[in-house]
Amino acid sequence: MQRRTPIFIVTSSRPRVGKTLIARALTEYFCAQNRPVGAFDVNPDEFKLIDHLPAYTAAASLSDTRGEMALFDQLVLEDTVPKVVDLNHQLLDRFFSVIQQIDFMAEVRRRAIAPMVLFVADPDERSRQSYAKLRDRFPDLPLVPVLNESVGRVSAYRAHFPPTRLGGEPVSIPALSPVVRSVVDRQNFSFVGYVQKTNDKTSELYEWMGRVFISFRELEVRLLLGEVTPQLRHSA
Amino acid sequence: MAKPAVILVGADKGGVGKTTVSRALLDYFIAHNIRTRAFDTESPKGTLKRFHPDVTEVVDMHSTADQMKIFDTLPHTDAQVTVIDIRAGLLSTTLKSLRDIGFLEAAKKAQLTFTVFHILGPSIASLSEIDETVGFMDDAHYILVKNFINNTTFFEWDPATYNSYFRKIKDAHDITIPKLNEMACEQVEIASVPYVSFVANKAGDGEPGNYSFVLRGYVRHWLGNVWAEFDRVKLIDMVAPEVQRKGAARQA
Repeated sequence: MQRRTPIFIVTSSRPRVGKTLIARALTEYFCAQNRPVGAFDVNPDEFKLIDHLPAYTAAASLSDTRGEMALFDQLVLEDTVPKVVDLNHQLLDRFFSVIQQIDFMAEVRRRAIAPMVLFVADPDERSRQSYAKLRDRFPDLPLVPVLNESVGRVSAYRAHFPPTRLGGEPVSIPALSPVVRSVVDRQNFSFVGYVQKTNDKTSELYEWMGRVFISFRELEVRLLLGEVTPQLRHSA
Repeated sequence: MAKPAVILVGADKGGVGKTTVSRALLDYFIAHNIRTRAFDTESPKGTLKRFHPDVTEVVDMHSTADQMKIFDTLPHTDAQVTVIDIRAGLLSTTLKSLRDIGFLEAAKKAQLTFTVFHILGPSIASLSEIDETVGFMDDAHYILVKNFINNTTFFEWDPATYNSYFRKIKDAHDITIPKLNEMACEQVEIASVPYVSFVANKAGDGEPGNYSFVLRGYVRHWLGNVWAEFDRVKLIDMVAPEVQRKGAARQA
């Protein structure tokens, strides 16, 4: 079987829900395994991902056709290099209307490319609507809710983001304490670098990374194996 | 032998994207396996010829020899459809000469089918052009085209005025050509290939092209919408009814 090229589109419909943190961790998840990875920072003005991971990241603003080409012409490459797209909430609509207009889904079906949307959830009603709209508009696109435990009380809004047929169950991201978060948010902080340096395998951050990377691995398996049968999912 | 079909594509002024429509038509017929030839009247060098060199011949509509080349060959040509891209401003003059050579009479006697695509310009004057044309159109399919391809088109007239002209014409349709992304439009121009080849990422010589996927996506989406307009007015039924029947028989 030809190896498929995965694309993870990390997005949300509200700011400050940990989207860039997740995109960073996901990019470094590939780096940690010495696998090539391409990251795209899709933001209207302020680029964050590229500041953290300049070696792997390209900026794309979608402000004009050239910007769209800079992003989508790369995303349709069948190079088996995993792609991570950090999609800013302000460009969510723009991104998906381009996907529709250029019929991106037809192209990925033709090629061995597997896109997946990781939608970082939050309690806002608009997020619920935006998730539902995305699910209805692109039934072929695996859509996975990401429940970030730093964002409000997850149990209060979990039901707003029902699992989808192709995406499967939501993924949980544990909360980081404010102190650790402030360290992680430093521009020169790298998860891979931290793991190489630390000896303390019981630290909060080490455990957090362990849990998050396991979730990423599971997502990758879901995506590359395609549809998991419902029975299999129940028994898991 | 099927009745030959002649399609004129014309506009009263230049720069309204007339050749765009001719190109989309050629792609449409070729995709439907309808044998098609085209004449480009922008003598000496034509735009249509540049995009569809295999099926296009450049002619001078003022020359009797060239008129003969188009019309006297109609009964013998292999092509089911003949598309004639009329130079800007020559639509009503061409119709007059078609009447003079008895072509319109032949259409009346149903020896051939005759269709006119009239690309409207943005000015009110463009609507009065409909008046000039309509006198010749008793036995033709008349299709008015509102072309938004380059978005610079701003129609000065309001729908009510337009409708008052539109209603004067018997058996008329109107279609809308949507806007195409500027950069996609520009790249197809540079590539000088049919829209279909651009979408399929093929260069003029049939070799694989190197066009942006994003731009190809825009062109595919746009061409799909244009063809949907042709489908809506049942263009295939107009020009090649027996092809339609054959298609239906195959389906059944």
